Amino acid sequence: MSLEHVVGLGIVLFAIGAAGFFLRSNTVVLLLCIEVMLNAVNLILAGFSRYLHGAEGQVYIFMIMTVAAAEAAVGLAIIVALYRLLKTLDMSRINFLKG
Amino acid sequence: MLSESIWILPALPALGALANGLIGAGWREKGIAAVAVGSVGLALAAALALLVQMLSLPAGDRAFSVTLWRWLSDGALHVHVGFVLDSLAMVMVMVVLFVGFLIHLYSADYMKGEPGYRRYFVCLNLFVFFMLVLVLADNLVVTFVGWEGVGLCSYLLIGFWHEKKSACDAGRKAFVVNRIGDFGFLLGILMAAVTFGTVNYGDLARLLATGPAVSEGAVAAIALLLFMGAMGKSAQFPLHVWLPDAMEGPTPVSALIHAATMVNAGVYLMCRIAPFLEKAPAVLPVIAVVGLVTALYASFCALGQRDIKRVLAYSTVSQIGYMFVALGCGLWAAGMFHLLTHGIFKGLLFLAAGAVIHALDGEQDLGRMGGLLRDLPAVSVTFMAGLLALTGIFPLSGFVSKDAILWGGFERYGTLFWVAAFGGALMTALYSGKLFSAFLGRRRFEGHPHRPGPLIVMPLATLAVFSLLAGIPGLPLFTADTFFARFLGIPAAQAAPDAAAHTLEVVLTVLQSLAVIAVLAGAIRLFTKERRPAESAVLASGFGIDRFCELLLVRPLKACARFFAVIIDPRLIDGAVNGIGSLSLALGRISAGLQTGQLRHYAVSLIAGAFTLIAITVCLAGGL
Repeated sequence: MSLEHVVGLGIVLFAIGAAGFFLRSNTVVLLLCIEVMLNAVNLILAGFSRYLHGAEGQVYIFMIMTVAAAEAAVGLAIIVALYRLLKTLDMSRINFLKG
Repeated sequence: MLSESIWILPALPALGALANGLIGAGWREKGIAAVAVGSVGLALAAALALLVQMLSLPAGDRAFSVTLWRWLSDGALHVHVGFVLDSLAMVMVMVVLFVGFLIHLYSADYMKGEPGYRRYFVCLNLFVFFMLVLVLADNLVVTFVGWEGVGLCSYLLIGFWHEKKSACDAGRKAFVVNRIGDFGFLLGILMAAVTFGTVNYGDLARLLATGPAVSEGAVAAIALLLFMGAMGKSAQFPLHVWLPDAMEGPTPVSALIHAATMVNAGVYLMCRIAPFLEKAPAVLPVIAVVGLVTALYASFCALGQRDIKRVLAYSTVSQIGYMFVALGCGLWAAGMFHLLTHGIFKGLLFLAAGAVIHALDGEQDLGRMGGLLRDLPAVSVTFMAGLLALTGIFPLSGFVSKDAILWGGFERYGTLFWVAAFGGALMTALYSGKLFSAFLGRRRFEGHPHRPGPLIVMPLATLAVFSLLAGIPGLPLFTADTFFARFLGIPAAQAAPDAAAHTLEVVLTVLQSLAVIAVLAGAIRLFTKERRPAESAVLASGFGIDRFCELLLVRPLKACARFFAVIIDPRLIDGAVNGIGSLSLALGRISAGLQTGQLRHYAVSLIAGAFTLIAITVCLAGGL
């Protein structure tokens, strides 16, 4: 299992997450896509960490996982509040912040 | 020390103005008049004391000076607030305070019952203050302060009856026309400051006499610019247009400001800067010609007026023209002496005219005055005394002062100049004859003229006596070396008197006098006839100079103003300002379109931005 495999998988995962983020409109799915992208980055960091025999990449992974957990908690709370307010989770219809 | 305290002369009227203006609101008319007249009276007493002290000094150092404080200081140029009372200033101070005091006294009665009684006396006192500042100033800048101050008071007093539109217009006209002259004055001051590094009269005279050489052209330019200021203030052609209109003000104001004092400030200024004129004699003919043109022109205009005050106003313009003729001949003493005598007899004429107007319930039309001698003997006699002095009948003061000017013109500029100047003198006799007709001949006023009170007659009588006595300093006749010239400290001509010229002068004077008397007698006969000659419209309008100004200056200026108000201001100025606003609005609207509110659009731009940054970094690092 070489570095190329790990990075290739990470890129594919990131692309899937990004494409999902652009194309889907359900807010919960969007949150999932963000998680996919974050974990793609984590994977790449882990791959490089192993390749370079360093610990920095793993430290970053833990920080990113913490942030991702917090983000998921806040994001889900926002989604609940949003649903209560608008009775919809369709992101293309939630477009009030514009000039 | 008495001589140190000359600042008290202007301070007293200023105190009077302050007292009346700040705390006089509840005072009765008598109290206001007492403060105003008293302050000028005290100043007159102080001036007389100074005069006595001055006369006891030798002719060489007859000057009291005091420097109060330093006002402006900028590098090489220092301007002090300082006063100097030399013999020249003394003449002017005596005219201002003596005539001013009598006019204050007269006004106390004349303005009785006016709603603006207190305002009137505040302005009048303020005027005397500024006039004394002008006269006593020891440098050009302080003179300018007084110069503007009297202009302000003149404006306020011309427009005293401010509910009358014509009075407001006249005040504004006076102010605007004076601005033209003051522009020149200010430039002259600046140029003097730049050229000499000082504005002090004494220093300037010293620098001109002994200092480093300055080109005659620069000196002449300064003198001409200052003369421009003098032309405005002293109503010389073509800047005289404000003076006839200034007669809208109360008559004592016309007497004080527009006959006896302020309008003479130009003559005084020219005498103050005499060292300049002596250094640049090329300026003298300019002054003489302007004076002569004014004297002739205004005497013709005076003949065409029906309003008694406008006749006197044009007469004032004409007489000041004679003063400038004298200055233009280099005869400072003759010019100042005519200023002195004219101040007295023209003040008298205006005051008497005011008394006549009051007695006839505000009638100013000469065509409806006649035979007033029987109804108002005291006023009529004093008025006629003033007229005789104005015409220059021997032995009244006008004879002494005018004769010196005519002879000076003959001597310096030749026969043609003399003929023109003498023609003006004959015109003076002609319009004086017209004024005589108000008092002689048959009655023309319906109604009963009421005689004026003692407060009005007393100043008239005093001035009438002085219009006889004022000739004495101008003696002896037929020489430039008069008592007056000696008092001013002007050295007599070194050249031995030419016997032939002297004989010619005597003969000319006698002939002039006879001609003037003949013209005066003829004019009196002509104007006291049942059917008086009608006024010519050309003369009445002053050869249409007001129309000329209207067409040539006022209308183009108004059109120009309208062009700027209608085209330039809303289109160009407002357009630029509003344009900047609408431009940023439009830009904002365009960029606001980028913000759609769609999350995915933001996400695309985020990712695209990130990739762009990475691409740039990689390119810069030379990786690809």
